[in-house]
Order: sequence, then C-alpha cells, then structure tokens
Amino acid sequence: MDIAAMRANFAKAAATGDEAPLYFYSHLFLSHPETRQMFPVSMAHQRDRLFSALGDVVARVDDLDALVPILQQLGRDHRKFGTLAAHYPAVGASLLATLEHFDDQWSPELAKDWTEAYTLVAEVMTAAADEAAEQPAWWDADVVAHETRAIDVAVLRIRPRAQYDYVAGQSLSLETNVRPRLWRYYSPANAPRPDGLMEIHVKARDGGPVSSALVRRVGVGDVLRLGPPVGHISLDAESDRDLLLIAGGMGLAPLKALIDQVSRRGPARRVDLFVGARNDDHHYDRADLRRLEQENPWLSVTLAVSEDKLSSLEHGDVGDVVMRHGPWLSREVYVAGPGVMVDDTVSRLREHGVPSRRIHSEVFAPSRPGPSLDGEVTE
Amino acid sequence: MTSAPNEPGNDDRGLNPADLHELRFTRASMLRPGYVDTEVDRVMSRVAEELARHIAEKAQLRDEVRALRAHVEGTPVPVAPSEQAVRILSSAQQTADAYVAEAEEFSRQMTSEARAVYEEEVRQARENAGAIIQAAQEAAAKMTVGMAGADAGARSMEELEEQVAYLKAFGQACRVQLRSYLEALLSDVEKEWGRADPALLPQQPARAPAQRSSRDAPDDSAATFYGNTAAEAPGASEEQEGSPATAGSRSAP
Ligand SMILES: Cc1cc2nc3c(=O)[nH]c(=O)nc-3n(C[C@H](O)[C@H](O)[C@H](O)COP(=O)(O)OP(=O)(O)OC[C@H]3O[C@@H](n4cnc5c(N)ncnc54)[C@H](O)[C@@H]3O)c2cc1C
Ligand code: HEM
Ligand code: HEM
Repeated sequence: MDIAAMRANFAKAAATGDEAPLYFYSHLFLSHPETRQMFPVSMAHQRDRLFSALGDVVARVDDLDALVPILQQLGRDHRKFGTLAAHYPAVGASLLATLEHFDDQWSPELAKDWTEAYTLVAEVMTAAADEAAEQPAWWDADVVAHETRAIDVAVLRIRPRAQYDYVAGQSLSLETNVRPRLWRYYSPANAPRPDGLMEIHVKARDGGPVSSALVRRVGVGDVLRLGPPVGHISLDAESDRDLLLIAGGMGLAPLKALIDQVSRRGPARRVDLFVGARNDDHHYDRADLRRLEQENPWLSVTLAVSEDKLSSLEHGDVGDVVMRHGPWLSREVYVAGPGVMVDDTVSRLREHGVPSRRIHSEVFAPSRPGPSLDGEVTE
Repeated sequence: MTSAPNEPGNDDRGLNPADLHELRFTRASMLRPGYVDTEVDRVMSRVAEELARHIAEKAQLRDEVRALRAHVEGTPVPVAPSEQAVRILSSAQQTADAYVAEAEEFSRQMTSEARAVYEEEVRQARENAGAIIQAAQEAAAKMTVGMAGADAGARSMEELEEQVAYLKAFGQACRVQLRSYLEALLSDVEKEWGRADPALLPQQPARAPAQRSSRDAPDDSAATFYGNTAAEAPGASEEQEGSPATAGSRSAP
C-alpha cells in the first residue's frame, strides 16, 4: 500500500470541503436506496466529520494495532443503525467513486490500495459485529416516568424490555421515535438495578433536537432505542479508596450512579460530591441529593453556584469550591461535565498533587458545534 | 463539481487558452492601481463557468467510457449512478439540510429568548423577595429599638446579624410553626380547655417574630420566642404524642 499516495489522493477530496462527502452520500443513496433511511434527514453535520475522520484513519492505516480496537467497537455499535455486512461493499464502492471523482490523477494502483484498505477496515468491523451477534443490536426501552425538574431539565425513568448490562458511570446512545435517526449520548444516574430501571437526566439545549424532545415531547408510554454502553468512568473493583466526585451541570448523572453503586455494593468508603451549576434553579436534583446525604453518613454533598449572588449555596466555579475544601491527595477522583469545566478542574487537581492515574473524567461533548448550517457554536 | 482545484488550460472550445494568453485588462486609473475590477470579475466568472462545464463533461464521458468498456467486455454494467443523478440528489440534500438548519435555528432563538425572559423574571422576583426580607428586617430592628428603649443605640452589629439570621430561619419555619400551632391549639381546645389561660393562646405567634433581640430581658416575650423554636425544631411536631406542644404550655421554661 502506498500510503503517501493515498493521503495525497484523500487530501484532494477533503480540500473540496462539503463537496466530497455530499457526493459520497448521494452516490451511496442512489446506488443503494435502502441505506437512505438509516441516516437522518439533515446530514449537514455528519458530512465534514466523516471526511476529517477518514483522513485520520488513512493516516493510521499503517498502525493497525491502535486502530483495531476502535474499529471493533465501531463495528459493534453500527448494529444499532441497522447496518448489515452486505452494506459494507456498497459503502466501499461509493467511497472509491468519490475519491476517483475528485482526483485527476486517479490510477488503478490507487484503486487497488483503497480497496485493500477499505476491505481490511470493513472486515474488522463486520467480524466484531458478528461476534456480538447474540447481543441485541439495540434495546427498546419504555419511558415509565417523566418528571420536569426545572424549565429545561427532565428526569426520565426508562425500563429496557430486554436485559441491558452496563456499569455505573457509563453512558449510552439513544434515539427517540420523535427524532428518528438522531443518536445522542446520555448517562444513567443509577447503578444497574434488579428491576432494570434506569434514570436519565436530560437538559434541553436551545435548538437541540434530541434534548428538547426528551424534555418537552417525550412522555410515559414512549419507546426509546438504546445502543450499547460506552464510557470512561467506572469504579475500580479492586480499590476501596475514598472518592471525590466533581460534577458540572448534567455531569451529575454518571457520578450519582457511582454513589448508587457504593451504596448498593460497597466497599464502605467516604464519598464527597461537589456539584456546580450556574444558579440555584439549575440544581434540579437538590432534594434527592439531600435525602441521600441524610441516609448515608459516608456521603457529603456540596452544591455550588457560579452566577448567583443571592444564593445561600457556596459561590464560585465548582473547581474553586473543591479546592477550598480538601486536601484530596489520597482520593480517587471522578470529574464529569462540560469540556471547559472538566479540563479546568482536572488541571487544578493535578496542580494540587493528585496523580493523573487517579483522575477519571467524562466530557459531555455536544454532538456537533451548532444548529446553524455553518456550525456556529452557541455555548 | 466545484471550480476549485483544476488549473485552466485544458483544450476547449468556448474559452481558449490562447484567449487567456492574449487577454489584456485595462489599467484602472492613475489614482487606483491595478486593473478595472468589473472586467476582471467578468472574466473570472466566465472561467469558472467554463471549468464547471468541463468537469461535468468529463464525468459524463467517464460514465460513457465505463458503460462502453463494459459493453465491449460483455460484462454486466454495475448500475453506477450517473453524474447527473448524483448532482441532483446532492442539491436536494443541501436544500433539506438548509430547511432543517433553519428550523433548528428558529427553535434555538425562540427557546433562548424564552429562557432569557424567564430568568429575568425569576431574578427580579428573587430580588423583590430579598427587598421584602430586608424591609422586614429593618422593621423588626425598629420595633426592637422601640422596645429596648435607651440602650438600643448600643446594639452591636453581631446582634443585628443574629436578628437577620433569626428572621430568615423564622421565614423558613413559618409553615411548620403554623401547622404545629394549629395542632397545639386543637389539642388545647380538646384537652386543656379550662386549665390554660385561654386568653393567652391566640396572641403568641403573632408576637413572636419581633421578640428575638430582647432575649436577655427576662419578660414573657422572650419566653414566647422559645416556645416558637420548640415548635419548629425537628421532633417537636406531630410525632410527639403525649406531650402536647401547645405554645401555651411551653411558654414558661
Ligand atoms: C459521553 C456523553 C454523555 C452525555 N450525557 C448526558 C446526560 O446525561 N444528560 C444530558 O443532558 N446530556 C448528556 N450529554 C450530551 C448529549 O449527548 C447531547 O449532546 C445533548 O443532549 C444535546 O443534544 P441535541 O440533539 O439536543 O443537540 P445537538 O444537536 O447535539 O446540539 C444543538 C445545540 O446545542 C448545543 N449543545 C449540545 N450539547 C451541548 C452540551 N453538552 N453543552 C453545551 N452545548 C451543547 C450545541 O452546541 C448546539 O448549538 C452527553 C454527552 C456525551 C458525549
Ligand atoms: C475506511 C473507512 C472509514 C473510517 C476508518 C472511518 C472512521 C471514522 C471516524 C474515526 C470517525 C470519527 C468519529 C467521531 O468523531 O466520533 C468517523 C465519523 C463518521 N463516519 Fe466514518 N469512517 C469510514 C468510513 C465511513 C463510511 C463509509 C461511512 C458511511 C456510511 C461513515 C460514516 C461516518 C459518519 C456519519 C461519521 C460522523 C458521525 C457523527 O457525526 O456522529 N464513515 N468516521
Ligand atoms: C468501514 C466502514 C465504516 C466506517 C469506518 C464507519 C464509521 C462510522 C462512524 C465513525 C460513525 C459515527 C459513529 C457515532 O457517532 O457513534 C458512523 C455512523 C454511521 N454509520 Fe458508519 N461506518 C462504516 C460503514 C457503514 C456502513 C456500511 C453503513 C450502512 C449503510 C453505515 C451506516 C452508518 C450510520 C447510519 C451512521 C449514523 C449516522 C448519523 O448518526 O448521522 N456505516 N459510521
């Protein structure tokens, strides 16, 4: 494989911006119309991501060891889209047609190299999908309760119809029937329960199709589709170190699941939870946190507000507030929330002297920059 | 499909390379250096058009070559979509994208405006509430000044703060107190009628809030205050069977 030539070829397609991905999808949908319904109506935001991602992968085709686990996960996850092994050659053909279309110097050698690379990638993905065949491709889950907690926050209780295995702290992608083909990540706020019930906390984002629908449209009786769990947060079964949990906004959900895990399974340990929000009203789960604190002597909960002068809660960014307490040097630390908050908090913890290996974090990244066509960022 | 990366200079009919070589733009003027921009713009747009036509034609030819080659070789042609179809679908997709983006943008503006209005209202309401509490605190301070008489001017900041804290707590406890007061009243009516001085009962809660700062004065207003905190303390409410927490019976420690 002449990787340098492939990169140069790819760069030509990528240089056209939106044109190449647009061509790719149109080609795919015309040659295989059955694939159209797997994708959302608007694909403005998927397109550029696909191509830049493809570029990354091409750059790493020679480092297959690093790529394989990612591709395996991707292949398993693709089952939730309804992807079948038979779709892969179709996609490959459209990919090649696209790369050819935008390159004057397209050659049989390039065609051969790309086919080889794609086939390799597709094989890894389909093999992983096959191995996971005994698992459902997705899980239907009934919404059994829907509670509005603040003007833009709702807590949903959902119950998967088949057993759904996950670990406290993980997230899952889900799709609702009112916003078909839009998959977004959410984190259950409880550890797995015998009755399978999961609590999902959702904040409606302005112009965000999925979150607004979950908060304002979806109700008891609706069915959600869940993809397999993913995530960077989980408790180390071997450790009984005391915990420090730091949440920004909706980052509370996976951390609350960790608290639930400690209270269900142990081992006994001290847990300090800090939750930051803009103002009093954004502390949508305050009552339940106070209840937990009262029921569990090992738990302490500190709420902080960053933009509320009248509040009786602690003032400041949650990272500041955490640093006012402490020391935290011996703790296992978990941080979840928006990117800026997570980065800021993690770097302060490092300065404070907590070793990096004991800091775990999950960033609640938006699915895309913004709702406008040019992806303008709104928050 | 774009005019982007292909260099002009292929053989063509509409616009010849020679045309471009021989092209001379008019100098703009003595004051403005460069060429006349309308002329440049016109040529540029012709070049772009020409390029687009070439690219489309080339793609079409490729389709044809592919079909012919397959025909010659006798293999069945895989039904590759034609360039034209791809172009049509692409622009349809872009239209759909634009509609969706517009709808989302609209909903984003609506919700963010609604939120801004809501948050402003809440903020004002809370500020007003703050102002009301403050007014109450000032009023309370004045009342106690009146009651404490001459030495009132000497009251320390600390005392004032204590008062404020008390009033806040009072506000929060109000509902609990009211309920336990009513219950106390009921049980009083039922059990203690005649034993307690009935005239005392209705007055106490009304007098309670303003009495805090004069607690070192051993009169019955201080006692009334303790009666109220007892009622709001956890455990002192409904559950406590057998010790009817009437305001009256607790008012003399
Ligand atoms: C691992 C992970 C776990 C997550 N868990 C949760 C959770 O438990 N609860 C929850 O409410 N959300 C969670 N999110 C975010 C969630 O996946 C969606 O991004 C969010 O609900 C918005 O989806 P949407 O379709 O409504 O808006 P999108 O179409 O994604 O975006 C629309 C607009 O909203 C803005 N926006 C979207 N998401 C965010 C964000 N997170 N912060 C700031 N601006 C944003 C975008 O910039 C854009 O302008 C998680 C994200 C990740 C990656
Ligand atoms: C060699 C082939 C390919 C590789 C290695 C590859 C790899 C990737 C990677 C790593 C990402 C980034 C994921 C992320 O940022 O979350 C991505 C995004 C994406 N890819 Fe590909 N890809 C390939 C082919 C395809 C094909 C053929 C399709 C379509 C059928 C596709 C559809 C997408 C989409 C839709 C996204 C963006 C998803 C989103 O915005 O959430 N990819 N790709
Ligand atoms: C080598 C082949 C492929 C690669 C590397 C690839 C890669 C990706 C990636 C990285 C994503 C984003 C995942 C996410 O956000 O969770 C994605 C999404 C998707 N892929 Fe693939 N893919 C491939 C093949 C296919 C095939 C064959 C199909 C079926 C037609 C397909 C259909 C989809 C769909 C429907 C989505 C979701 C798109 C969206 O959310 O907008 N992919 N793909």
